[in-house]
Amino acid sequence: MTKQQVEAVIERIRPFLQADGGDIEVVDVNGQSADVKLTGMCAGCPSAHMTLYLGVETALREAIPEFDTLRVV
Amino acid sequence: MTATLTTESLVVGHSARMRAVFEFLHVISNSDSTVLITGESGTGKEVTASLIHQSSRRKHRPFVPVSCALFSETLIESELFGHERGAFTGAIKDRPGRFELADTGTIFLDDIDDVPLSMQVKLLRVLQNRTIERLGGTRTVPINVRVLAGTKRDLRQMVADGKFREDLYYRLNVLPVVLPPLRERREDIPVLMEHFLRQYFRKSGEDAPRVSDAVLQAFMRYSWPGNVRELENACERIAQTCTCGTVRIGCMSASILFRAASQPPDVVMSAPTAPQQIVPIALDERIRELESNLISWALNVSHGNKSRAAELLQIKRSTLGDRIARCGLADQVNVANTSNQQVQASRSAADTTAPNGDRPASATTNP
Repeated sequence: MTKQQVEAVIERIRPFLQADGGDIEVVDVNGQSADVKLTGMCAGCPSAHMTLYLGVETALREAIPEFDTLRVV
Repeated sequence: MTATLTTESLVVGHSARMRAVFEFLHVISNSDSTVLITGESGTGKEVTASLIHQSSRRKHRPFVPVSCALFSETLIESELFGHERGAFTGAIKDRPGRFELADTGTIFLDDIDDVPLSMQVKLLRVLQNRTIERLGGTRTVPINVRVLAGTKRDLRQMVADGKFREDLYYRLNVLPVVLPPLRERREDIPVLMEHFLRQYFRKSGEDAPRVSDAVLQAFMRYSWPGNVRELENACERIAQTCTCGTVRIGCMSASILFRAASQPPDVVMSAPTAPQQIVPIALDERIRELESNLISWALNVSHGNKSRAAELLQIKRSTLGDRIARCGLADQVNVANTSNQQVQASRSAADTTAPNGDRPASATTNP
């Protein structure tokens, strides 16, 4: 799994996030796990971590068969 | 069974489709005839039924909603028509059925499409004769009930497929009401959203928050397969989780975001706004803007593959080329192609490192 693959999935919803002054930054991809970071407007919101986490994890799993773990850092 | 949608929430909405529904409901308000309400799950069939009852002459009499999908084939008969003591094992006392409970009022038979064929013939008899017999009983009880029925499937199609009795269909389909799915009346989404947000924030003693444009756009683009009920659910969730006083993308379920992103940009969003703000619009410019948005979306989701984008837009590949040039989107094609090649290149690089598609042992054994 490469960083580009993870980026390509997040790119799909990025326009929405950026329109709201936020973003998801792919910090690191290590084997089958990816570390991402919420930045901007919703970065401090605990709910945003939960809502985005679940959806992004599901989308990654669908798009990248070997994907295993998502960590929000 | 509960109706989570309220009458008020159904009435919210100014789309031509809903206005037509309300006008029809107004026309039939004094009628006593059977109504067949067709609509997908979550479009508000029970709310409509209750509205019909409330505006009828029977409004002070009982309204008995019953979902025919809730009961097994054997139970449904006793549920609708009641039973006498000893009619079957466990029938320890006489019990009136829903038809008797609704006497002088209205019964709403929801999910009528789930009623088995064997039961349909019994229902037909009741609708024709306006009498019922309790299970295990010999007495024929006359009933005075207005019948409303709800279905999520097209009953006419079910008749054609032999899954629904034609005679029962004609008995039910005297006054047809068709509720449009939310995706076919997207212009109502902002009003519904405002309504539900206000309602749920009021419950927790707060004022309705501002909603960011990005959230509104995502809501407008999402297809809402669960219709108004799903929209209500999304708003309840936002009201419970929003911590900053403004509804932003972070408050939304990301699965809605992903699915919204795969939909073409909404057409209605760029339509002229409220009638009191009448300003001239440059039609050609609007159409070009819309064309540009849709082409841009198609190129984006097809990763710059023009043939695929042309298929999505149902136009010829050569026509797409001309239009891309006209809308000045050539840059986007190149950008999408480059990132696509990068992804493919990295994929093939990954393939070389793990030729059999096996996971590296270190990653699976050491989490």
